[in-house]
Amino acid sequence: MGRLRDWLYVQNTGGRLTTLLLFLPPALMIFTLFAILPIAESGLYSFYNWNGFVPLADGGRWVGLRNYEQILGHSVFHQAVWNTARIVIISMLIQLPLAMVLAMLIASKSAVNNVFRLIFFLPFILADVVAGLIWRFIYDGNYGLVAAITHLFGLEPFYPLADQSWAFNAILVVVVWKYFGYHMMIYIAGLQSVSDDLIEAAKLDGATPIQIALRIKLPLIWPAIRLSIFFSVIGALQFFEMAVPLVQSGGPGGSAHTIVTYLYEYGIVRSRVGFGSAVGVILFLVCVVFAFTYQRYVMASHK
Amino acid sequence: MADIEFKKVVKSYGDVKVIKSLDLSIKDKEFMVLVGPSGCGKSTTLRMIAGLEEITEGDLFIGERRVNNVHPKDRDVAMVFQSYALYPHMSVRENIAFGLRLRKMPKDEIDTLVDEAAKTLGLTPLLDRKPKALSGGQRQRVALGRAIVRKPSVFLFDEPLSNLDAELRVQMRAEIAKLQKRLAITSVYVTHDQVEAMTMGDRIAVLHDGDLRQVGTPLELYDTPANLFVAQFIGTPNMNVAKGNISEDGSKISIGSIEFAVPAKWKDACKANAGKPIHVGFRPEHTLPDDEHDWKNTARLSGHVDIVETLGHEVVVYVTIEGLDKRVIAKADVHKTPTPGDAMSVDVNLDELHLFDGETDERLSS
Repeated sequence: MGRLRDWLYVQNTGGRLTTLLLFLPPALMIFTLFAILPIAESGLYSFYNWNGFVPLADGGRWVGLRNYEQILGHSVFHQAVWNTARIVIISMLIQLPLAMVLAMLIASKSAVNNVFRLIFFLPFILADVVAGLIWRFIYDGNYGLVAAITHLFGLEPFYPLADQSWAFNAILVVVVWKYFGYHMMIYIAGLQSVSDDLIEAAKLDGATPIQIALRIKLPLIWPAIRLSIFFSVIGALQFFEMAVPLVQSGGPGGSAHTIVTYLYEYGIVRSRVGFGSAVGVILFLVCVVFAFTYQRYVMASHK
Repeated sequence: MADIEFKKVVKSYGDVKVIKSLDLSIKDKEFMVLVGPSGCGKSTTLRMIAGLEEITEGDLFIGERRVNNVHPKDRDVAMVFQSYALYPHMSVRENIAFGLRLRKMPKDEIDTLVDEAAKTLGLTPLLDRKPKALSGGQRQRVALGRAIVRKPSVFLFDEPLSNLDAELRVQMRAEIAKLQKRLAITSVYVTHDQVEAMTMGDRIAVLHDGDLRQVGTPLELYDTPANLFVAQFIGTPNMNVAKGNISEDGSKISIGSIEFAVPAKWKDACKANAGKPIHVGFRPEHTLPDDEHDWKNTARLSGHVDIVETLGHEVVVYVTIEGLDKRVIAKADVHKTPTPGDAMSVDVNLDELHLFDGETDERLSS
């Protein structure tokens, strides 16, 4: 008994055990209830052909890996994966560099810069659905901004969202517009932590503003950059709400599907809960694999 | 040739003038120390030479060239920062080589120069480390290396030793001074530490509230301070200062109830200022117990001991003087250390007296 008491006493140094016993159960319960159980459930459903209206035991039919086979062989799913990849590519090539350039231009503290920051950050504050609606009006070929432009140049009316080769490009524009401000803010926070002395030392060393940006500032805010890359990839994988008001049912010929809109269309709208669950499981695995590899090889490296 | 010339230079931030019309010439190859309390404008002055602060009015020349509108990178100056400002993502070698690489110098030439600088500063074994893996003193050396490798025409130092411990500071003080003499490059060194100023500078410029109070060699500043501020700023412990008066006939000086004849070298000055209030200054080393000196011309101050600070080689005694309502700092022999509360008489060497105008605080012209 004495040894157990001693052991407990040591383990409870600084109230560690007490904290654990008081704080772990509620969090663990909530996490289990809302994260682990649903994931496990959809894992289970993904092996069934089930419409979700009747209990699984009555209406579900075990199909093994059939759902997965169908998804991986489905050309629309291929398109959805490619589109998701395009969001990532555009983010890396256009959105993040744009955010970085703007961040460097307006990182210093001044009243004018505050105004610019607010303007650039505004799109991010809007709800995704609202942003989608706004851009649906802009892209409208009869009444929108696009209509005004085609009218000005005397061209045929153009409906970007109804055009198979344009619909997703139109969405990509909205994605860049909506989220660059967010990444810009991450970079500004990073840039403000770079000490003025370093910039001044580089000036005296003979560096031009561009050299300072590329050789001093960029390497120093690498932690902020890799964080923003992480967010933008995860965001692309989960991209959904903003697409809904812009294009219905994956746009013309399913050309504008992303992984999540594909899941929604073929899983929820068509009442194939098993099929949808299988898409969810695939998406979940991709996210987990990405998150862990990125954490392990990129976030953890100290350059 | 890289002398530096300030001509009526003013620096203001909005309505606040931090530098009020500065005229100062720094000679080629000279080690000039700018010293003063915080907020006196010494760092601003240095940063104006570097080109990191704009000049509001007046002209600044480096060599023959007016540099008011010259970009920092085109001024050929190198600066050592208080924070060292090493690039944390670069190795020591890359830090030192950065300025050379920006100048598109061939790689083997850069390597030779960097190795040479590293050897001078004892950095050779550390060249591949990142700044994070260095001690404060080593970082300091890298910052120096980055400055010397470019062979600039002007060195600027912004309190470079203030983050080092006392021992290292003394060591680096000597090293920087030696390095500067060897490289023979005009240097401007900012510090708030008057010991650093005294030991390193060829000349010292004392700044206070944006005004230049005196420029001169360390000894000039010590022996003939131009005003009360310089008198009290230079020298440790501080100079004793008491308010006094010159008698109507200009032959006697009184401080409190103590009166003594005007010493020979101040006779003319006191005649000219007869009857006026003055500040009387005397350094602690010219204030000794009555049996520890062989001075001829002294004034005796009596009182009792307040505080005793034993420094090993000497003792600093704070004595409250009767009839003066003032505490005077004196020095004493270690082997005759007094005890607080003791009665004590100290003598002031009147031949080493400093007299300042009672209103303007300027030194009386002797």
